[in-house]
Amino acid sequence: MNKVLSDKKVIFLFMFPAALIFIFIVIVPIIRSGYYSSLKWDGIGDGKFIGFENYIKLLIENKNSFYQAIKNSIFLAVFSVFIQLPIAFLFARILASGVKGEGFFRTVYFIPVIVSTVVIGQMWLKIYNPQYGLLNILLENIGLGSSRQQWLGNKDIALGAVFIPLLWQYVGYHILLFYAAIKTIPQELIEAAKIDGATQGRITLSIVIPYIIPIMEICVILAVIGSLKTFDLIYILTRGGPLHSTEVPTTIMFNTIFHRMSYGYGSAMAIFIIVECLILTVAIKKIFNRFNFTTKGDL
Amino acid sequence: MQIMKKSLALLLFSVLAVSTIVASGQNESTSDEPTTVSVWTLFTETMDDANAVAFRKALESAKTDLPGIVIEHDATENEAYKTKIKTAMAADDAPDVFFAWGAGFVKPFIDAGKVVALDKYLTDGTADRIKGGANTNFIFGGDTYGLTFSQWVASLYCNKELFDAYNVKIPDTYDELLTAVKVLNENGVIPITVGEKDKWPGMFWQNAFAIKTAGADMSNSALAGNDSFNTPDFTESAKLLSDLVAAGGFVEGALGLDYNEGGALFLEGQAAMYYMGNWFAGDIASHESGIIDHVVVKRFPTIADGKGDLNQFLGGSIDGLCVSEMSKNKETAATVAKYLMEQVSRNLAVAGEGLPTWKTDDIVSEKTNPIISQIKDLIADSTGYVLAWDTFLSGADADDHKNYVAELFGQTITPAEFATKMQEMNE
Repeated sequence: MNKVLSDKKVIFLFMFPAALIFIFIVIVPIIRSGYYSSLKWDGIGDGKFIGFENYIKLLIENKNSFYQAIKNSIFLAVFSVFIQLPIAFLFARILASGVKGEGFFRTVYFIPVIVSTVVIGQMWLKIYNPQYGLLNILLENIGLGSSRQQWLGNKDIALGAVFIPLLWQYVGYHILLFYAAIKTIPQELIEAAKIDGATQGRITLSIVIPYIIPIMEICVILAVIGSLKTFDLIYILTRGGPLHSTEVPTTIMFNTIFHRMSYGYGSAMAIFIIVECLILTVAIKKIFNRFNFTTKGDL
Repeated sequence: MQIMKKSLALLLFSVLAVSTIVASGQNESTSDEPTTVSVWTLFTETMDDANAVAFRKALESAKTDLPGIVIEHDATENEAYKTKIKTAMAADDAPDVFFAWGAGFVKPFIDAGKVVALDKYLTDGTADRIKGGANTNFIFGGDTYGLTFSQWVASLYCNKELFDAYNVKIPDTYDELLTAVKVLNENGVIPITVGEKDKWPGMFWQNAFAIKTAGADMSNSALAGNDSFNTPDFTESAKLLSDLVAAGGFVEGALGLDYNEGGALFLEGQAAMYYMGNWFAGDIASHESGIIDHVVVKRFPTIADGKGDLNQFLGGSIDGLCVSEMSKNKETAATVAKYLMEQVSRNLAVAGEGLPTWKTDDIVSEKTNPIISQIKDLIADSTGYVLAWDTFLSGADADDHKNYVAELFGQTITPAEFATKMQEMNE
């Protein structure tokens, strides 16, 4: 009895500091942003209370083409889930099945994740440069000179051009998650299947994928949330340009707060992004719960 | 065993707690001699333009000329600096002395009461050493809130070598400009380079066209909200830019090149023309390619029946240092600001660069930058200046204006729409 009681106190004691930090660093600023979003305020003077007007301006009147930005971030989320994750899964599957240099490739794929985004942005800026960039020079040298483009200067293709480094940067992260998950699959299952004559493809479909569905859920949530919140790489590559073709909610928010001096309006955008992420997380979890039969014991 | 483990854990925890408290407390400076003054500017270590070089010299000489004061200089790149100082101001975390553009940029800070009026620090004879009208853009409500060091003026830098190679005249008028653009394009040379990703380099062009079509006085008046932007003259300024873009005048992909990349094209001799401020003369002089030997400085191309005259320019004295109201040592900070600005002005004069706003007639220049000499000749009889519009305007208006000009570059807006949208700001 004593142990149980003291256990609870100990639990509380250990949880308390972390919870405190979480509340002060995450929850309180969100609440304050919520308050700021009800003000007309330039960030340094006095604010004027205007209630929900910022949200109306943002979502209903669609000022600053916020809808386009949301669309862009959803495009990115879709591409992340349906292009980046399958690629990551493929690489992880191959790596985990014991190819030569497993450890080496694991490290190499993870490097873009740990390299600073600014460095990655600068690198891709140089690759995409229309005059001396690697991409255009390469195209010319292999005879596709007519495909030379203003990668980041042409408003019609800038969005696509920006997606590639974005997807490339975090592929390694998902590879690692999938790899770790695949490694936990009991080898007996795989061997048994092989003895029964299953091909690698069959094994992947019937054993590996169902087994790692919980990790898939995590990867999907991370990919979607990351895409909705993405900021630094886009800001470095295009600042949201050219002509707002690569704007995402975060770049508009940044511009609104710091260049247009509208702190209240920008806070409304921030709250919107938070709510959007929360809703989508819940939705994704619900979708995966219907597929997640490993914990329900329906196997 | 258990007790020992528990007491060890407790000991370690208290050490952690205490060291955290002590570490956070160490930010308070010890109260002995040197006063520290923090200065934030955009003059980063790698910048080679005339102003940055002069500023670094001033920081060096401050070590001997201002004993007892330690200057902590923090520099951030131009665009990032704008964000940084605004954030710091909003968080009441501003440095003692900070760089700011006058007019529309610094106005929100002054309205919020975060900038110190410097008039009382100038009565010790400093005011006499400043040229008349130098700090106009920092004067609000009769008080001076900042000190400038140099005037800036934009001019058209032309690479004579490229023009001569294809037998084309360096343009004086808009029509000659179009001819030059045509010939240069036919020969695979970039006619005009501009780093339009940052939006303000391209904005210079529209602002300069407005000076030619509407004149400096009308431009200033419209900016101040006393006259309309929706006039044929301002529409014409947008049309001239739009036509120039359509004629292939600007480097392809300008919207994807930032200020440095745009300028690099001129410095590397790949572009024939570049319209930029006089600070760029420093970059030209220090560039290894020796481009300085080929550079000719021209006035902005004139328009046949425009209202502006030859002697009106895009520019003004708007770069300066301010003292923050949050500063704990306002008097020392003011001393530092005065010293730095005067020294930078004098250093520029010594190097033969810049257009100093402090009285520097007693200085004999050690060297001359031929580019600056050309610029000084051009502005010798100036009759009017217009500030870059994004420095005159504030906040959202400045941002909108730059966006509209970018849309002219991207050909997604008509000149008439440009004029109408600009006028919406005045309503």
